[in-house]
Amino acid sequence: MSEARFKLLVAPPAIVSSAILVLLFIVLLYYSLPAIREYGLGLLASPTWKPVEGAPGEYGLLIPLAGTLVSAVIAVLLAMPLALASVVFTEEILPRGLYRWREAFVSMIDVMTGLPTIVYGLWGAAVLAPLLGDTLYKWLHRSLSFIPLFSCQPTTGNTILTAGVLLAIMITPFIYAVVRESYRQIPRTYREAALSLGTTRYEYVRIMMGMAKPAILAGALIGFGRAAGETVAVALVVGNTFNMPSCLLAPSYTVSSLIANQFANAQLYPLMLNVLVSGGLILLLIGIASNILGIMYLRRVRYVA
Amino acid sequence: MEPVEVKVSDLNVWIGGSHILKDVSMKAPPGAVTAVMGPSGSGKSTLIRVINRLIDLIPGARVEGKVLLGSLDALRADPYEVRRRTGMVFQEPNPFPHMTIYDNVAIGPRIHGLARGEELDRLVEWALKMAHLWDEVKDRLRDYPHQLSGGQKQRLSLARALALKPRVLLLDEPTANIDPVSTVKIERSIMEYAKTTMATVIIVTHTPQQAARISDHILFIYQGRVVEYGPTREVVLHPRHELTRKFLGGEV
Ligand SMILES: Nc1ncnc2c1ncn2[C@@H]1O[C@H](COP(=O)(O)OP(=O)(O)O)[C@@H](O)[C@H]1O
Ligand SMILES: [Mg+2]
Repeated sequence: MSEARFKLLVAPPAIVSSAILVLLFIVLLYYSLPAIREYGLGLLASPTWKPVEGAPGEYGLLIPLAGTLVSAVIAVLLAMPLALASVVFTEEILPRGLYRWREAFVSMIDVMTGLPTIVYGLWGAAVLAPLLGDTLYKWLHRSLSFIPLFSCQPTTGNTILTAGVLLAIMITPFIYAVVRESYRQIPRTYREAALSLGTTRYEYVRIMMGMAKPAILAGALIGFGRAAGETVAVALVVGNTFNMPSCLLAPSYTVSSLIANQFANAQLYPLMLNVLVSGGLILLLIGIASNILGIMYLRRVRYVA
Repeated sequence: MEPVEVKVSDLNVWIGGSHILKDVSMKAPPGAVTAVMGPSGSGKSTLIRVINRLIDLIPGARVEGKVLLGSLDALRADPYEVRRRTGMVFQEPNPFPHMTIYDNVAIGPRIHGLARGEELDRLVEWALKMAHLWDEVKDRLRDYPHQLSGGQKQRLSLARALALKPRVLLLDEPTANIDPVSTVKIERSIMEYAKTTMATVIIVTHTPQQAARISDHILFIYQGRVVEYGPTREVVLHPRHELTRKFLGGEV
């Protein structure tokens, strides 16, 4: 194949794929406009969700937005220690002689990133939610109900906290992969320098993790983006109820689970579809922002003094 | 602090299948600089990594023989303890990029709980002065090391090691990639540190000239075996072995 032909062959797909993002944004914005015009800032700030058949209802996304942020933050907070501990375990604790075990463990975590999310959702709904609801949540409420986050009586396992826990399990492998790749790239000379000071393994790991800090931040941001956008698994465990997620032991909503749940009905209600699309637009912006920030941090990972 | 003699006896090291160090015996006395010379690949780096147990990091390395740091049996002791007593400077300048100049020097004393507050400040100043870097960085201790030149970074790496006042200081070709001015300063630091604190200094050097300038004893290794060991003047002026003569003449 000639040079020119080859270029002609690969250029259009490349241009198309980058154009898709722009198109996506434009289309979402276009369909959001009627909702934005009608509700203005209330679209973000109002907690009311009152569909009216045949007339524009009252739609505010405050509750699902809060649900998205709360569940994603819970997910990142829980996933970070898990992911970092796994990096330390595979890179530092598993003896180098056990090379195969290490690779097996690493591959297992990598496989987890590729599983269909519905699998997590089913497991979450069938196992995790009832389990947490019957045990942890009762205990949390009994012992810590003076904390507003645990003040509500748990009635079901389908709560915003369950969504956060499930999301944490889902994003841990991603954060693990991002941090591990950077951690492995720390040049040997820094490892030797740290050890030559007589550091224990714990102190040594702390120095190495300090060096990999931009990658850790990148992992957190990219994990946050994924958690905020995840739909089907969350829809199965979050409870899908218009409830402000100020208490974590109650059902709530997230933007993506709202879209998934309401999309089929939206035809019946004027403007509801536009409101849902504007929710999608917000998710797109959150996703873009967290990924761009994450990538910026990853670029800052340069192990040269 | 006690002077510590380094004594290596009948040391054999294998990495993978290959025999890297063969029946190596040597001594490095306190208060003096011992230079390790030899062609590339002859096992110099391996030797000093046995002394501070960094050899433990190399998968498939096997070590036999005896290494004494004073009364401490380095091959049997806890590696953390061995490394705590020995400082090391590497060929590549490697101050930690995410720590300030100050923190790079303070990290060792902090980890081992040696000093805090003003006492730590004084220790950091002492180490930076010992490494002949203080005047150049005293006004920017809170900066990160990336703005420093290669030679300055290497002196910072030296100061980081010195801050723990190691009884044994190991250096693996520390000036191989360093500008001449920094090289002179590093050489002076090394000699001063050995003389003023009675520390034991072992430096792997790539040039006989450097060995002649700073060392009291020379150990010449060739293909994993000790070929010659003696006072620097004697080895340089009257090498007993043909290989040493050739190496000094730049032929091997
Ligand atoms: N990590 C390692 N894995 C395998 N072989 C090694 C390793 N480190 C050193 N060697 C081998 O040991 C021999 C001596 O290396 P080294 O001690 O670095 O020599 P020198 O410092 O004198 O140049 C070389 O043949 C080298 O290939
Ligand atoms: Mg070497």
